[in-house]
Amino acid sequence: MNLQAIRILFLKDLFLSRRYLFAYFAAGMASVGLACIPNPTLTFVGFLLVVTVAIAAGIHLIGTLLLSETTDQTKLFVMSLPISLLDYSIGKISVVLTTYLIPWASMFACLTIATFVLGKQGNVAVLTAIFFFLLSAFMLQLVTAVVSDSVGWTICVMVGCNVCLNVFLMKLFAIEEIVAVSKSDVLTWPSILLQVIGWELLFILLALVAAFLFQTRKRDVV
Amino acid sequence: MTTEMDVSSGAGLAASLIDVSKSYKHFTLRNIDFSVERGTVAGLIGPNGAGKSTTMRILMGLVQPDSGSVSALGMRISSSEATAKQEIGYFSDDMRLYKPESIGWHMQFVRSLYPSWDEGYAGQLLERFGLISQQVVKGLSHGQRVKAMLLLILARRPKLLILDEPTNGLDPVAKHEILTELMRVVEDDRRTILYSSHNTQDVEQISDSITFIDRGQVIASSYRDEFLEKWKRIQLHAPEGWKAPGVEGLRLESCHRNLHVLSCSHFHDRVLAELKDSGGAIESVESMTLEEIFVSSVMRGRERSSS
Repeated sequence: MNLQAIRILFLKDLFLSRRYLFAYFAAGMASVGLACIPNPTLTFVGFLLVVTVAIAAGIHLIGTLLLSETTDQTKLFVMSLPISLLDYSIGKISVVLTTYLIPWASMFACLTIATFVLGKQGNVAVLTAIFFFLLSAFMLQLVTAVVSDSVGWTICVMVGCNVCLNVFLMKLFAIEEIVAVSKSDVLTWPSILLQVIGWELLFILLALVAAFLFQTRKRDVV
Repeated sequence: MTTEMDVSSGAGLAASLIDVSKSYKHFTLRNIDFSVERGTVAGLIGPNGAGKSTTMRILMGLVQPDSGSVSALGMRISSSEATAKQEIGYFSDDMRLYKPESIGWHMQFVRSLYPSWDEGYAGQLLERFGLISQQVVKGLSHGQRVKAMLLLILARRPKLLILDEPTNGLDPVAKHEILTELMRVVEDDRRTILYSSHNTQDVEQISDSITFIDRGQVIASSYRDEFLEKWKRIQLHAPEGWKAPGVEGLRLESCHRNLHVLSCSHFHDRVLAELKDSGGAIESVESMTLEEIFVSSVMRGRERSSS
């Protein structure tokens, strides 16, 4: 493993994605701003936009940074450089994850702070579960992209994840304990919610391992 | 199959593939034995879909062979791919640079990975190729794109250049500029070039040795001068129904009335004697161009595999 080469590849991709990164960060902040306005309609629209930005950023960054390397034929150029498939895989997966985590973490952090400022601390626990669901969905799309190298399959999984998100929200708010927590002024962590978050974290970890395993076991780079 | 270059010894070889095979759904590369001597230019000629690009990608470690052994510059590619690539410059017609970025950005990126990057030489190449560092890749013509990629490869002074169809689709001027630059590279006798094309003229111009490949198999491999020396076209008059004698490498190419045209891959005075003995009257013996030799080799190989 060549750490210097991985660093160069990481910085190269970070530079290439700078415009999108800024756009998603700005869109995320604007959505959070809207969600914080004390008007039920605007808050709802703002939250909807936060989820939309998280989904759009995920699929777009996977497409731009990972899948387009094959379709734009730049992968052949990169792989002709003195790097191994392991270096390429670590650099690529790290940068896709980092670029996604920047808007994701910014939105999550700002919403959490806003929830505290607005005195609705109970929402933080629910927000955490929703944000980790979004991250899990992103990880599933990342694994799909790595395994299939296909835009079509990745979009199919994204659509599936969006359907699952609606089902997840529906099921989540069907639990009285969680509804009560979300309306509370005090931050509490019901065991059911902790279990959900635990499963989400486990899924994220497994997906990360799977992405690396599948990517490094590919026999043919191009 | 005539593989006349010795591939049994690894000494003095810049690259070698020994008994390499690779199967895809609709294509198989079979038992490729192929080597390139250090300090030489080796041409790999084959029709489209013959397996040239797959062979080169296997040599670069981009495609893993199902069997066989691959080495470059004394290193086994399966275990030292990244190290070997420090000394190898690879170009493919299928390769693209990042469209939104400039040539200068690409130079900076490649320089950060190669301690051997020669800034002065890169500047010279920019000038010789008529490129501007600030030019964005998106706006480059095909010729400029090829030149920009060759600049990125040549400025790191690789010991082995693997060039997959570098002159494909270029106008004559751009082709001349690129071949001239490659000739300059060859002047340094420590550097080796493996050059593939389906255009025999380009390969003939700069190659010391040539390998023909067709349908995933090496069909002939020899030094360029040996090819040109040994292959002859013979025209002779013979009565209708005449059959060519069983001389090694002799093949009837065409027949019009009593004028027979034959090609011979192992020409020798004895061949003419045999033809005369068989009742033929020799009209002419001519040298063949590399293109004619290539076409004849391919047709012979296909006839052999179909029979």
